Amino acid sequence: MIALGLEGSANKLGIGLISHPAQGKPPIILANLRHTYHAPPGSGFLPKETAKHHRSWIVRLVKQTLQQTGITPSQISCICYTKGPGMGAPLQSVAVAARTIALLWGLEDKLIGVNHCVGHIEMGRAITRASNPVVLYVSGGNTQVIAYSHYRYRIFGEALDIAIGNCLDRFARALNIPNDPAPGYNIEQLAKGGKELVDLPYAVKGMDCSFSGILAWVEGLADRLASDENDSRADRLKTEEGKVVTPADLCFSLQETVFAMLVEITERAMAHVGAEQVLIVGGVGCNERLQQMMGLMARERGGSVYATDERFCIDNGIMIAQAGLLAYGTGVRGTVEDSETTQRFRTDEVYIGWRERDG
Amino acid sequence: MAQSTTHTLPPPFNSSSTTPKPPLITQGAEALLYKTTYLTPSTPIALKHRPKKSYRHPTLDTRLTKARILAEARVLVKCKREGVVVPAVLGADWEEGWLACEWIEGKTIRAALDGYLKRDVGEEADLRGEGVRGLMGRIGVVLAKLHGIGVVHGDLTTSNLMVRQLEREGDGLESLSLGENREKGLEGEVVIIDFGLATQSVQDEDRAVDLYVLERAFGSTHPQAEGLFEEVLRVYGESYKGAKVVLRRLEDVRLRGRKKSMIG
Amino acid sequence: MSAGSELKLPHLEAYPVHVSLFQDVTNAEFLKRQLLEGNAEYEYAFLDATTIISVNHVLAAVFRAINDSIHNRLKSRNVHSEIVFSLSPNNNIAESFRRFGVSDTTNTLLAIKVLNAPNSAVTRLDPASHLGSCVEGNRIEFSDENLKHSADLPRIRKIYKLNSSDNSKSKGKSAKSESTTNGVHNEAHELKEMEAVILGIMALKGS
Repeated sequence: MIALGLEGSANKLGIGLISHPAQGKPPIILANLRHTYHAPPGSGFLPKETAKHHRSWIVRLVKQTLQQTGITPSQISCICYTKGPGMGAPLQSVAVAARTIALLWGLEDKLIGVNHCVGHIEMGRAITRASNPVVLYVSGGNTQVIAYSHYRYRIFGEALDIAIGNCLDRFARALNIPNDPAPGYNIEQLAKGGKELVDLPYAVKGMDCSFSGILAWVEGLADRLASDENDSRADRLKTEEGKVVTPADLCFSLQETVFAMLVEITERAMAHVGAEQVLIVGGVGCNERLQQMMGLMARERGGSVYATDERFCIDNGIMIAQAGLLAYGTGVRGTVEDSETTQRFRTDEVYIGWRERDG
Repeated sequence: MAQSTTHTLPPPFNSSSTTPKPPLITQGAEALLYKTTYLTPSTPIALKHRPKKSYRHPTLDTRLTKARILAEARVLVKCKREGVVVPAVLGADWEEGWLACEWIEGKTIRAALDGYLKRDVGEEADLRGEGVRGLMGRIGVVLAKLHGIGVVHGDLTTSNLMVRQLEREGDGLESLSLGENREKGLEGEVVIIDFGLATQSVQDEDRAVDLYVLERAFGSTHPQAEGLFEEVLRVYGESYKGAKVVLRRLEDVRLRGRKKSMIG
Repeated sequence: MSAGSELKLPHLEAYPVHVSLFQDVTNAEFLKRQLLEGNAEYEYAFLDATTIISVNHVLAAVFRAINDSIHNRLKSRNVHSEIVFSLSPNNNIAESFRRFGVSDTTNTLLAIKVLNAPNSAVTRLDPASHLGSCVEGNRIEFSDENLKHSADLPRIRKIYKLNSSDNSKSKGKSAKSESTTNGVHNEAHELKEMEAVILGIMALKGS
């Protein structure tokens, strides 16, 4: 079976083509194309412009996919698209394309709506072969700690206010860090040059965490950062030891703090369910420091961390195709009539019929 | 539960001494709990150790460990001062990350209820029995007292509530019938333990969530004892001014559950 | 615990502790002067037992002092002065000596020596015999029973800011079985509760 997946819930437009050759065999990635909409530095991407971007790229990417792989529409079993969660206009623009393609190719009753997060999880599992890990899903719009149980991906912990990716994006904006290729990526590179640890608010509450406090703090102090370590202006931000704080230092401090929070809530979930494996998915999962920290925690517990590279941790179409095809394989179908999108779509609302009840 | 690969006790508990090596009692995500003696060979304690986390920047790690040990110790001392029955704090070292608390001899409410509720096929535990309802009432009183002094536990489960038998003269347990034995297991003073997630709050919301967490714990570990928790809430509601408001708030918390909406 | 014997605190067995309790002491002034003058033969913690409530009260201070000494965290001159300091709820060293240390009018005296204390001069004196010769008073057993007699409870409550009414008032509310409401048990219980709060306050000191 072959599935086409279309993803556009945020600023990345992804088209993927995946094949499930036979029962028990690993999936084959036939194509994984993506184009990202970047807002100018100092601003974030807005729904209208993002949807416009998706509309102008989608036909190109789908055509390219077919050309690259040599697969024809008649070979495709189903059309999978992101039902939600995400931004309204971008989700809708991709859904319209999905419906159109389904109608054009005679697949109008094989139009599978996929939960974006489930897509990330299923792709992560497929690529890393982690069998039943605790999943940390971290992206611009989501921060959740998930564990599978009885046909559902259950949410054990989450960010109570804003997602980690959102926090990083807004932090980048406050410091005028460029958005290309991604604000989080640029923060990570800058952080490598930082070494002073600033005392930032640490907000873990039970199994959950929150980022608005730390964001408000750094936004408030962004214009007091030192230009370099020799900046001698009296009003510059300093650490307790009296060292000036540069943008690199603040990036470093932010990462060390927010990632520690994520590792902590992940560890709590692992202790609660007795798991040893951790899988990190979502755009923020590309961050190597986060992977490193998670790995240290996992190893101390006798376990290991799994992560995918930027092809899969950043939003992509192949993950939608993967999750959609898994659902299709259990008999799930969908028509154009009920192919609406939704901005709010909790991970635990999806029935995971393709997994065993106990793992 | 996943085991840690190595755990070393903090000094001075790690020295090879004549005191036997403290056995590990439980291991959570945050802390390790050992049983040992402190000050005198006949004073047992629960030693709570928050080990260093290698994934955290050392400065952040020290800061967090210190803050958490102190927060827990302060809450415990506050409770003790105000007469809420909790383990006493005997000593602490927030740089090394340990807290020495009074060892509570007794069993958890979870175990006590298990003992009471487990019956042979065909026999039903009497949920209206005075013994078990009395125990629920005592839990309600203790929680009311806790909230009344402005403390919220943060992790109320049937494993974090204990019954400690008071000294009694008289019969050895062997001379009691099975029924009397079951009743006896419910007697004693209710002690609240494990304040690692406790906060000082007077917010109705926080108090309601505290009760909700316990309600869920009751429901999942003792599903056949559903009606019992109502007795906890009833007594709680009558125990301090403002308790009824918290109970109303609890209704809202139940409706919300974990259904927070996600924005993509 | 026999009078003047060595104690080994669990986990601190490498630092045996000598504790002696004396009543009807007549030369407190002399002993205090030896301390002030830094007489090397008098490296002890000399406590006025009226501000001591129990054995654990003392031992908790000793534990903290030795532990801080091992970690190079002493706030006062040496481990013995640190024992006195550790009894205090606040960080005022002079005040802790005034409140807990031997005074000219001390009648019941607690003498403590930590053996093998880090950074301490090696002593050739056997504490038991030395104290026996230099303290003019009667040695009695270092026990809760004896300490209870000399304890000035109102003063201790004042120092640690304990409200006696709070403790007993709240006890009435929580359900307890009859055996603790009879007179004798109640007093022992109250002392235990006081001790618990005091040890907690001491543990938090300096935070």
